[in-house]
Amino acid sequence: MNRPARALSQGFWTCLGCRLLVRAPRANSCLCPRCGARIHGRVESSIMLTWALVITGTLLLIPANVLPVMTVIYLGSGDPSTIVGGALELYHNGLWGIALIVFVASIAVPVMKLVGLVLLCLIVQRRWDVSPRQAMRVYRVVNAIGRWSLLDLFMISILVALVDMGAIAEVAAGAGSTAFATVVVVTMFAVRAFDPRLIWDVVEEKHIAEEKIAAAQVRGKENSHRENG
Amino acid sequence: MGQESPQGVISKVSGRDDPRHRTLAWKRACHQCDLLLTRAHAPIGQRLSCPRCGATLHRNMDRSVAHTAALSLSGLLLFIPTATLPLLEFSLFSFGAENTLMNGVQALFAAGYIWLASIVLFCSVVAPLGKFLLLAFVSWGSAWSRMAKPVARALRWYHHLQEWGMLDVYMLGILVALVKMSDLGKMSVEPGLYCFVAMMVVSSAASVSFDAETIWARLARRAADNDTAENTEGTQ
Repeated sequence: MNRPARALSQGFWTCLGCRLLVRAPRANSCLCPRCGARIHGRVESSIMLTWALVITGTLLLIPANVLPVMTVIYLGSGDPSTIVGGALELYHNGLWGIALIVFVASIAVPVMKLVGLVLLCLIVQRRWDVSPRQAMRVYRVVNAIGRWSLLDLFMISILVALVDMGAIAEVAAGAGSTAFATVVVVTMFAVRAFDPRLIWDVVEEKHIAEEKIAAAQVRGKENSHRENG
Repeated sequence: MGQESPQGVISKVSGRDDPRHRTLAWKRACHQCDLLLTRAHAPIGQRLSCPRCGATLHRNMDRSVAHTAALSLSGLLLFIPTATLPLLEFSLFSFGAENTLMNGVQALFAAGYIWLASIVLFCSVVAPLGKFLLLAFVSWGSAWSRMAKPVARALRWYHHLQEWGMLDVYMLGILVALVKMSDLGKMSVEPGLYCFVAMMVVSSAASVSFDAETIWARLARRAADNDTAENTEGTQ
């Protein structure tokens, strides 16, 4: 019985707005007495919402990478470049440091975020035997890196204003940038929607199941002893 | 917060045999793994983290309210030059163009990228400004018990707005733009950029020094003061 006490099974909820511990009412949800936010035992339909947003993000990642995000027109000529193209171009110009930053922020981070969220959803749904600490590490990384993907869009907005000299030089945004912006926003909401406490709920359920099996085994042994004796 | 006398806490613990009394000792649950803890707050200058999953539950900065008030006010003041002065200047042959915090958004808006322009506007202007305004309001407003409701609402908004302020990401975007275009023409740094960097530093310092629990404790104390004042008035 030295299982750590879990708030939900002891009849407590935590307000996610102000982290106040409240007694769980009979109702499905209640308002936080301190900050007024709506409280549920767990984020409502967390896994389903996360899946929906992750799938949306994955689908949007296709136009975000296929369509051009930006066109640099210099002396009347210039090719539209995609996100990967922009990073490659920087690399070919010898600016590999900046190329690495752009690559990490706008290609690695969105993909890692989507993969991480899919893993977390599967860990909770399929009850994978993963150490919860590892899962939490994935969750924290996904949570922390998300905002850095907007880097490319900020750069585009700066360049569009800065390089605006008509026929000589001009930077124009492309349709891919809209898709990419939506990917970032959707994945940020997806991380919000995922409730990490579900990871620990799975662990607790496994513990309970193991305890039941152990108790059943003990009872079975006692019974066989009695029959033999 | 921490107002109970030691006797009060002990008396609660001593009623251990009754499970209903024992649950009173729970003060906080980890918001990331739902572990129940008997302690709600960290001592001043220290950090309370979850023993199971390691999440930071409470960081009690020394003189949090005063620091947050000062930092959010300086952030608001810094916002004025940052938004009005140019950040970068790009010149090619005899042409030159400047970049301010707003004209990138305007250019995108004019080109028809309304959704993109609104995201950039929200993350680089609205959210950081909103954070400063809310923090200033919260740290000053919590001094009056009459303001309890609006302050609670402001805290809730701040909680939602927090991750959307992306001044640091914008700063990196400026650096990438600076390097990327430096072979095309001449890029130069304008005074607005220094104000921007200062605002970015102040913004992260303000979010680090801010502690919502201190504000809640302050509001609760003011409410209690008010109650006792009303009670004594009633008896007289």
